[in-house]
Amino acid sequence: MKPSKTAAPGRLLTQIAGEHRTGALVIGGHPGGTVYLIDGLITEAESPAAPGVGELLTASGRLAGRTWQAALDAGTAQGRVGRILLDQGHLTQGELELCVLGAIYDAAYFALAPATAPVDFLQDATHWLGQVVNVDPAAVHRETRRRGRLLDEIFPDPRVDSAPVTPVLRPPRERVTLTSLQWELLVHADGQRTPADLAQLLGKAGYATVQELRRLAALGLLDLPQIREPTADNPDFVRLPRARGASSADVQRPVVSVPGDGPTIPIVAGPGTRAGLAPAPSSGDPPRHSLEPGPASSGGGAYRPPRLARRKPGAKLPKDVAADPGPRDGPGTDEVLLKRIRTALRALR
Amino acid sequence: MAIPGAVGASIVDYTTGFPIATTGAAPNSDHEAAAAGTADVVQAATSRSLFVSAVPNDLLEDLIITTAGGYHLLRLVQTDFDSRLVLYVWLDRIHGNLAVARRRMQTLAAELVAT
Repeated sequence: MKPSKTAAPGRLLTQIAGEHRTGALVIGGHPGGTVYLIDGLITEAESPAAPGVGELLTASGRLAGRTWQAALDAGTAQGRVGRILLDQGHLTQGELELCVLGAIYDAAYFALAPATAPVDFLQDATHWLGQVVNVDPAAVHRETRRRGRLLDEIFPDPRVDSAPVTPVLRPPRERVTLTSLQWELLVHADGQRTPADLAQLLGKAGYATVQELRRLAALGLLDLPQIREPTADNPDFVRLPRARGASSADVQRPVVSVPGDGPTIPIVAGPGTRAGLAPAPSSGDPPRHSLEPGPASSGGGAYRPPRLARRKPGAKLPKDVAADPGPRDGPGTDEVLLKRIRTALRALR
Repeated sequence: MAIPGAVGASIVDYTTGFPIATTGAAPNSDHEAAAAGTADVVQAATSRSLFVSAVPNDLLEDLIITTAGGYHLLRLVQTDFDSRLVLYVWLDRIHGNLAVARRRMQTLAAELVAT
């Protein structure tokens, strides 16, 4: 295993795919993620910001929690959790393929989005789910960049994607129309759950969650945290002892602070700003440094609900298992599901 | 299970307008643009129109667009988990039969999940 280095995840993925390698590309940072490849084709992807196959299937009620857990217990070591679910008749092949395919594109978006990140390649590591679909890394890479552009067309503020979600208390208009996912997000947003927490909780794709949140932000229905710099004519309501020179240092801190955390206080952005509390935010452009979610936000003393334990990405399987990826299609494997779908589509003509 | 008069078809992720599979021709020979347009139409129907939610627990099934030269049919693929896929078929106006095409798409969308 090579020591961790910093690189462009997308470019590294293309390189690994070009060399037809098998293993796990582990991408650090926030949110980070892991992309699993077999012979240069993507077979699975995971990210803390995207619910995995298990979360999607159990949160929707498609599988009982104990059914999923039993399959995990029985199949993780041999990397055949998916096979077990199919063999025991809990899922159809079509359902599993669609679910895994969606999960791959979803997790890959978050894992590959950063321009540079600490990356590691674990040679021959394979995923416990087993090989269900194969996806062309070039298609995933292209789609990842396209998805990023789509979000910015809706509302160009990446803070929405990672900051805890706080709905405005009073909508900025008389009549508001919501989609059902938007409603679910607003009902479950408590000012502490992040978009990733909400996606896991509701069993919705991470990208779809972020997309709806950007739409809500564009409608002015979300409170966006902003940094307020304490000034002489704008005193804090609660005066706290402050170290010398703290005001300049604290401006650099991320926004996810709790009241009383210091001189930086999140204030309401957009039309909901209460007069007299603070000077109106200068424009829709937030200060750049407020975009960093960073580890400092969790170290800032803010309460975060406990997260579910997640599997360590890239955990290696025993050598004999990893060496045998199971039954495979011939060389030049097309993605299995795509084949089925294409056959079905061709039958239409 | 051919659909008479079908010119082209695709399966599209309507959250993003990404065509996960395509076959045959697309309007203006551009499957990606067709997929993006498909996603826009589905979004418009689910998020900005009131007839989809006129009855509680009602569910969007098909969207049908007719033009002088053809029919464009969109059929949502229903899964229990979060997936957001739509099946799109472009039918020739003269050779296509709307009712037959709609029934066959219904079967195909169900079979994608049920097998």
